[in-house]
Amino acid sequence: MSEEAIRVEGVSYAYGDVKAVDNVSFAVAQGEVLGFLGPNGAGKSTTIKLLTGQMRPQSGEIAILGMDVAKERDKIQGRIGVCFEEKNLYLNLSARENLNFFARLFGIADFDPMPLLRRVGLADRAGDRVKGFSKGMQQRLMVARCLMNTPDILFLDEPTDGLDPVSSQAIRRVIEEESARGAAILLTTHDMDEADKLSDRVAFINDGKIAVLDTPENLKLAHGQRTVRVRIREHGEVREQVVPLDAADTGDQLKAVVGAEGLLTIHTEEATLEAVFISLTGRGLQA
Amino acid sequence: MNAQVSRPAVIWAIIRKDLLEFSRERFFVVITAIGILFYGAAFWLLPSSVDESFTVGIRQTGMDDIFAAAMGGQSAGLAFVQFESVAALEAALGMGGAEPDEPLGIGLAFPDDFLQRVAAGQPSTVRVYVDANVPTELQRAMASFVREIAYALSGNPLPVADPGREVIVLGEDRVGDQVPFREKIRPLFAVLALVIETFALSSLVAAEIQARTVTAVLVSPSRVSDFLAAKGILGTGMAFAQAVLLLLIIGSFANQPLILLCALLLGAVLVTGFGLIAGSAGKDFIETLFYGMAFMIPLMIPAIAVLFPGTSATWVRVLPSYGLVQTVVQASAYNAGWPDVLPHLGTLLAWCLAAFAVGWFVLKRKVETL
Ligand SMILES: Nc1ncnc2c1ncn2[C@@H]1O[C@H](COP(=O)(O)OP(=O)(O)OP(=O)(O)O)[C@@H](O)[C@H]1O
Ligand SMILES: [Mg+2]
Repeated sequence: MSEEAIRVEGVSYAYGDVKAVDNVSFAVAQGEVLGFLGPNGAGKSTTIKLLTGQMRPQSGEIAILGMDVAKERDKIQGRIGVCFEEKNLYLNLSARENLNFFARLFGIADFDPMPLLRRVGLADRAGDRVKGFSKGMQQRLMVARCLMNTPDILFLDEPTDGLDPVSSQAIRRVIEEESARGAAILLTTHDMDEADKLSDRVAFINDGKIAVLDTPENLKLAHGQRTVRVRIREHGEVREQVVPLDAADTGDQLKAVVGAEGLLTIHTEEATLEAVFISLTGRGLQA
Repeated sequence: MNAQVSRPAVIWAIIRKDLLEFSRERFFVVITAIGILFYGAAFWLLPSSVDESFTVGIRQTGMDDIFAAAMGGQSAGLAFVQFESVAALEAALGMGGAEPDEPLGIGLAFPDDFLQRVAAGQPSTVRVYVDANVPTELQRAMASFVREIAYALSGNPLPVADPGREVIVLGEDRVGDQVPFREKIRPLFAVLALVIETFALSSLVAAEIQARTVTAVLVSPSRVSDFLAAKGILGTGMAFAQAVLLLLIIGSFANQPLILLCALLLGAVLVTGFGLIAGSAGKDFIETLFYGMAFMIPLMIPAIAVLFPGTSATWVRVLPSYGLVQTVVQASAYNAGWPDVLPHLGTLLAWCLAAFAVGWFVLKRKVETL
């Protein structure tokens, strides 16, 4: 088996005139979690569709687990798990029936849906039709479904999008468990914090291109700024001042503000991925 | 995990899942049941024998008195109309370019010298035009009518053994095997029942496209061909079962039951194929409805065409369901055997294969753009 879970070289895909993925290259190691970040329409979902064999790239090459997607699609699809952006469950079937059906497609003998449902906190709703599930419950079932074949690679397209903190947390825990098990994970999200916490490396994708790909640490060090934010009351008005922590005169500036009359609050601020993204692409994450 | 998947297991899994879903779609179950009841009921309400009245057009010269006498005692069901010329008569029979509003069923054209020839004891030819719809008995009645005229004319019983008559059948010649209306409409019901299924069948695929579940199915070891095979088998089974049930209700398996079953099976495959194309092509309910209709209407035309006398136009003959309709009509109404229907079944099979090939292609394309 190859060292790399995913290798993408010079891949492009355009919907008509729209270049959704533009000459993208990257690799994901076995067991690695790669965060895929980018604004709406950046090309994240299209990249996942290309990697999972839903669509063929118009140019470039994709190897999944060392196999060519174009040639060994069925074999690859048996060993990956995909959590789609849209919740594509059978609403008239129960949670258990949904899982049982897909287990047959994957050829899993003696499949028991209950451990999976327990893992995502749906065991008590196993027999209920998915139609009656809340958004968060449906999303958790989506996650359970993509785990059933104990995949070597997980593709998760915005798995926590629009969920309450409890549901999001449940899904994040599963991602961590899967990563610990050794699965490679490609995770797209708009949540910078989530990407920061879960990813070994993150890729910033913008207009179909990867702007940068590195560990969150390196990105923040290279492109972010740690700062101190100070609020001071002066002449009856509140003034805010931002002091960069790695400027030449940081010490003097800090002394000045700390000694100032009317000092209200002092906050240290870490560099955020969001700030890095903005400085790199000139735009925010929420389009 | 590297489980081995077998194609039949995948196909069977999809069929099972669909049956489970189908059983929960009360709407479809009810619609299906109502449909069968409706067709069955409508069929029994149709007349089982021909009791229409026919208008006879007559063209003659110099025999007005005789005709007045001869027609006086005519029974109900026949009305006579005089025509000035053979051309006018033929136009009224619908033989000219334009279709008259109500074409005549029968026309009699007596030659101008009919009177003299009969009087002289010479044979004469009377042209008898009959619509293919006119029952044989009525045709015979017309021949005796001509004889009666000759009798009245000469005052002698049959001065000529049988005045020669030349029968011109308008449309497909089915003289001698005229069938009652209900017999004729039988295939129409089976075919209509099948064709109407096109739309229900399109939902087998359309529902999965709209819910995007098809991507989840295809991003697993199962393939487009498995998916289509499963939908094709289930759809064909449902359509076939319905058509057979319907024909059982209306009692249509007297003649050539094997040929009928074979035709209905291929017909079920055909409408399933078109249903799958419609379901794969549409991106929402309205589009699917549009494609479904776009296929249903042409598929119905050959069935409707057999209700009208005459040979179907070329463009009707090339419609996919023409072979189906012809097989069913010939087998059930005229007791045709395998050699007669095989060419029709062959073209029908070719259409089935084409429909599935196109469906495969359209679905593949569709899934890529979801
Ligand atoms: N089926 C489609 N047909 C045409 N254009 C498409 C289609 N799907 C995506 N696009 C276009 O391709 C580009 C990339 O879309 P994609 O869905 O990959 O973005 P994304 O990064 O996943 O965005 P989001 O964060 O909103 O999910 C966009 O410009 C989008 O409009
Ligand atoms: Mg997306």
